[in-house]
Amino acid sequence: MSDQWTERLSEYVDGELEDGERVALEAHLQSCTECSRIVGDLRRVVRRARTLQQPGPQRDLWPGIASRIGATPPQAGGVVDLTSRRSPRQWSFSLPQLAAAGIALMTLSGGTVWMLRTGSPQPAIAPVASVSPAHPTVVNAAARPSATQSYAAAMADLERVLADGRGQLDSSTVRVIEQNLQAIDRAIAQAQRALEADPANLYLNTHLAETMRRKLDLLRQAAALVPVS
Amino acid sequence: MNQLGPGVATLEHEQTGRTDPDAVDATLAASGDASAFERLYRTHVPRVYGLIRRMLNDDDVDEVAQDIFVRAWQKLGTFRGEAAFGTWLHRLAVNVILARRETLGIRRKRYLDSDAALETLPARRPGPEMAMDFEAAMERLPDGAREVFVLHDVEGYRHEEIAQMLGLATGTSKSQLHRARMALRQHLER
Repeated sequence: MSDQWTERLSEYVDGELEDGERVALEAHLQSCTECSRIVGDLRRVVRRARTLQQPGPQRDLWPGIASRIGATPPQAGGVVDLTSRRSPRQWSFSLPQLAAAGIALMTLSGGTVWMLRTGSPQPAIAPVASVSPAHPTVVNAAARPSATQSYAAAMADLERVLADGRGQLDSSTVRVIEQNLQAIDRAIAQAQRALEADPANLYLNTHLAETMRRKLDLLRQAAALVPVS
Repeated sequence: MNQLGPGVATLEHEQTGRTDPDAVDATLAASGDASAFERLYRTHVPRVYGLIRRMLNDDDVDEVAQDIFVRAWQKLGTFRGEAAFGTWLHRLAVNVILARRETLGIRRKRYLDSDAALETLPARRPGPEMAMDFEAAMERLPDGAREVFVLHDVEGYRHEEIAQMLGLATGTSKSQLHRARMALRQHLER
């Protein structure tokens, strides 16, 4: 059975009828049990659709994706050869200096993250963070130009959250966070100065991105300590 | 999320004022951090996979899912944070799925002949042993009606967005949705 309203019932359920039409239809529903029943069914269909489960794939698709985007982890014992990609040194910091700075930075940030996770303001026995990420950083060439801006925006957001909430944190915690952020900022400034002399250098760009990522990680951990107001 | 300036998105969640972890990971991934992209993959793959499975009667769902995430990796530089990362990803997924449909030779004619096909959708018979699962009933909808139903009722797109994505009139999207719902109401668990 159908009438002039049957084809409009979904629009009614979705709240898409004009006020005049809605009022007229609601008057019709008072006397038409068939349309009333259909409206009830349509609402149940909508609810059912919204509660459908989202079962993921039966197998892990990530290895195939990682392979296609060039992010497959190296084989055990494998060495990533960067020498063929390096251009001649044109910056004022040697690779060992940067590597040493990076290790020191990871120690500092790792210690702070450990401190933040454990709630202790004393990072004296902090474990050294893993030197190598789980997957080698892959430079996404298409996206790289805006990455620094996006990092800066992300860090500015987190720094603001931290600044707003610092009064709610233990003062010794705030002091340790700030000391380590200053160390990271110095490392970022070093890398940026080196890049001014050699903007296209892959190693320096990767080093800068990795340093910024560590700052983001640290900020994210710190900002998570700030209670939501 | 707010815009600081052209192409620079902030990562603050509009309601909570806290940083959106997806947006941070998207930023990291855009700079080449595959670990961050893997986190995004693990967060969003169930919903993306469900979308593919419901939109395509295709044995190659795994392959399409991988294509979507590879495409997302390639396009991360275009993610500006105007919408949530999940919204951006799902729109990209819909585009990949629709392109796949075209590749499979499924044409817009599906919207024209679906009325007749809807009539062939068998009604739910009484008794649990004879009941057709709601998902199975969705699979048996004509392609056009199923696409609109999935995009509107499952994924939450508006008719205007669906009409734009599928190249339809808004009224066609509405009528396809109503027909799909009317067919599926017979398969509700009572």
